[in-house]
Amino acid sequence: MRVLPSMMRQILRGILEKPNTREHPYTSIAVPPGFRGKPIHDPVKCMSCGLCARDCPAGAIEMIESWVSPGHKMPSFNLDRCVFCYQCAESCPRGAIEPSALFELATTKKERLIIKP
Amino acid sequence: MRPVEAEDLIGLIHSKAADAVVKVTNPRPTRIYAEVKPGCHREVIDQLLEGFDGLGISTITGVHDRNQIELNYHLRCGGNILTLRTRVPTSEPKIETITDLMPGAILYEREVKDLLGVEFTGLVETERLQLPDGWPKGVYPLRKDCNLDEVSLQTNGGQALEGSNNEETLSELGNIEVVFGPQHPALHEPEKFLFEVDGERVIDIKPRLGYAHRGIEKATEARTLLQDIYLVERICGICNSAHTLCFCQAVEDIADIRVPDRARYLRVIAAELNRIHSHMLLLGSAGLELGLESLFMYVWRDRERVMDALERLTGNRVISALNTFGGTRRDLSPDVAKSILKDLSELRKRMSYYRKVFEEDPTLRLRTLGIGVLSRASSVRLSAVGPVARASGVEFDVRKDDPYAAYGEIPFEIVTFKEGDVYSRLRARVEEVFESIGIVEYAIAHLPSGPYRVRVSRTQPPGEAVCRVEAPRGEDVHYVKTNGTAYPERVKVRSPTLANIASLCTMLRGCFVADIPSILVSIDPCFSCTDRLAFLNVQNGERWSLRADQVSRLRGGRDGR
Amino acid sequence: MLALALFCDWVERKLMARMQNRMGPSYTGAAGILQPLADYIKLFSKEVIVPRQASALLHVLSPILAFTIFVTSIFFMPIDGLNVMGNPGFEGDLLLVLVLATLAVFMIFLAGWGSSNPYSEIGAVRALVQFLGYDIPLMMFASAPAILAGSLSMITISRSQRIPFALLIPWVFVLFIIVLQAELEEDPFDVPHAETEIVAGYETEFSGGQLAFLKLSRDLQVVYGASLTVVLFLGGPLGPAPVGPAWLWSTLWFSAKILVVIVVMEAVEASCARLRIDQVLRGNWRLMIPLAALSLVLTALVTPWIHGVTGSV
Repeated sequence: MRVLPSMMRQILRGILEKPNTREHPYTSIAVPPGFRGKPIHDPVKCMSCGLCARDCPAGAIEMIESWVSPGHKMPSFNLDRCVFCYQCAESCPRGAIEPSALFELATTKKERLIIKP
Repeated sequence: MRPVEAEDLIGLIHSKAADAVVKVTNPRPTRIYAEVKPGCHREVIDQLLEGFDGLGISTITGVHDRNQIELNYHLRCGGNILTLRTRVPTSEPKIETITDLMPGAILYEREVKDLLGVEFTGLVETERLQLPDGWPKGVYPLRKDCNLDEVSLQTNGGQALEGSNNEETLSELGNIEVVFGPQHPALHEPEKFLFEVDGERVIDIKPRLGYAHRGIEKATEARTLLQDIYLVERICGICNSAHTLCFCQAVEDIADIRVPDRARYLRVIAAELNRIHSHMLLLGSAGLELGLESLFMYVWRDRERVMDALERLTGNRVISALNTFGGTRRDLSPDVAKSILKDLSELRKRMSYYRKVFEEDPTLRLRTLGIGVLSRASSVRLSAVGPVARASGVEFDVRKDDPYAAYGEIPFEIVTFKEGDVYSRLRARVEEVFESIGIVEYAIAHLPSGPYRVRVSRTQPPGEAVCRVEAPRGEDVHYVKTNGTAYPERVKVRSPTLANIASLCTMLRGCFVADIPSILVSIDPCFSCTDRLAFLNVQNGERWSLRADQVSRLRGGRDGR
Repeated sequence: MLALALFCDWVERKLMARMQNRMGPSYTGAAGILQPLADYIKLFSKEVIVPRQASALLHVLSPILAFTIFVTSIFFMPIDGLNVMGNPGFEGDLLLVLVLATLAVFMIFLAGWGSSNPYSEIGAVRALVQFLGYDIPLMMFASAPAILAGSLSMITISRSQRIPFALLIPWVFVLFIIVLQAELEEDPFDVPHAETEIVAGYETEFSGGQLAFLKLSRDLQVVYGASLTVVLFLGGPLGPAPVGPAWLWSTLWFSAKILVVIVVMEAVEASCARLRIDQVLRGNWRLMIPLAALSLVLTALVTPWIHGVTGSV
């Protein structure tokens, strides 16, 4: 059994090494492709089938009247409830919902979290 | 474990317990369902225990079906799951307990009693397990006719509630009872343990679970099967891959869906990465609990590699959401595969260093050797699971006993140690990380080409299935029953930490009070997995304090907690 | 002196962080140097809550008393050739300083004991037991330099170290550092305020200004321990003073040596797990005290030889 603690050398080396923590928010990170950030909806491709709203596990999507194409209902995303699972993107037959790399979604106004079509 | 075939089990049932059993079905190779006459379940279990020494109980599921409650005793033996089914009428739900035959069943019986109102005659501990103390009597959340909006929780303005096991008193022997939790820096999630202490030694312990109870099982019934994948995933953030895998496999069993080979390997990759990061999390936490903060920081720094690998593979660091019915949602591109392999080879070097630290560091050894011993016999008797059982010498690993996904085709070793103390449990996890790294490397190298997903309809035929996987903490059991619609009839989850609570009590008896955190951390408690059921609706929004308001005086002045 | 205590706090945190490969305080002031100050300002601005069942007198007084006593004991350290009060100390002030420290820890114990909370009580009791237990070897080790210098006055001890005693009687030095870790409740003897075991030990029920005083007294305890080591073993404020006023250089040398001691202690703290209280005490009675006695005897034996060799008094 050793007498000296095993981590001694690592610790002394650590004093001289660059720290592993990032100075967030002063430095930003690159997000890998395929990252599940804020869902982006394309109203051109949307066909108002409502499958995304039906399949959303968190109940974050609601089909409401859209100003883009009146008479058609389009999904509005409530980012407050969204769990970023992208089941909506998978269920969409037209591929109208795309992932993005946006994840810094905090805001001071709750209404801003509801992305209307 | 000696391999036991399904035919052996069926044969024994037919020969020894033929008059107690109504029907035996064997829908899938390792799944047996035996319908038992009311009141005869003890006889069957008795015969089975005599015939097979590796019999353990995985969980007890209760399903409410209009005017009867169906009780499924899921027993595991070898690689098979034998489900004994018996029914009791809802008007008079009484059945005999089996805790004298199988002590490991006590928590499951208490759970069924709490949530479905079935009375187990002969059950000694009858306090509430999952529901809070102020829950009104007679309201059973998992019954189909229970309207949760009408439930109002009694709170008592901060005082201890009647009938709760809150009161700290001096027990008859004059021992001091000390409360540990629900809020405590040693516990990552809230639980309450009531310790009976004599001087420096712990005499007895009473756990009170249910603080992280979220009502997931009830919530699954209100959502479609597809949405339930995501709900089930969030039972535990750390073992999320295991839960989705188990659930998807259960539904795939019901609907007879064959998952493509590539998907099976991808599922293995995700599950093993999940296991690596979970074990490293625990090793860091162990360092923290034991006072070696630097170990915590360094292990978690290296864990970041795994998290980044998961992010590249699945899009999210923690909640992977990779599994779905019929396969996986994403494919593994060659670039990502290469980067994962590079990360893993770096990780291997770092883990060798940590293995050395765990083996050699004198202060760690002082704190962990010989502490919290769980003997092999107790481990089997109490149906312990996961690394806790394996560190006590029980070779129980679902990946080997009941291979699922691609585990049947991938070579790896089960890690066991003999001593069953805190040290072995931590070492077992270190070694398992090495095994997992090997499995991922093999899987990536042998990844079959082809589709990674088959299309599955949203409604499933009526049926039932039991499925289990080896979550990082042990055996995770899901029982799913469908009724032909898109909504499930019943989903029952038994996650590994619940199975280990009974063993925890055995380990803690007789230990020093100062060792309690190290023993707790060695079983890798994940209490959010442990309490998943029913869901509260606190009407008046008052937060009640469930800690006792009496202060315990210490004896001897030196200890207690 | 307060500034020194805060500076030492910052050094501890930043060093510990770097040893663990992370950043430590970085945002307050340049490289986070104002962080301890910010912490104390915040603490003083928070509400002070005294638990209903606690003895209010003890609760309020004991942190302040602990703080005061530590400050007093540091007063006697010869930081710049003379101690803070401007006079060259007196014979036996070494003993006074050691006793004052014990008294201060007793105050801390009362702080925990008076807070009607089982966690505080355990923490307080453990602190006292550990400190008192290790005080015995501490005093024995502290007398070794006294024997070597032939006096109990700290000024004299520090002045007579043309060659630091750490080099002359290294066995005492190494053991002294270990015992100091126990006194200052640093890992591996972290038990009295072991966070994951007993919440915050004796500090549990304190908030606001009371907590500030307790924390300050703990920081001062660290400074006290380090300066004791420096005085006894590392030659106090002695060191080359090339240019400028002598007192400035003395202070600088003293502070520099304190920092060295703190670095060593932090390195040990960061790399050790926490020992259980019974292991700590067993270590004390079975290992440390016999070693202390042995080293004292050894020191007494080699003293004449050392005097002969180095030509010191």
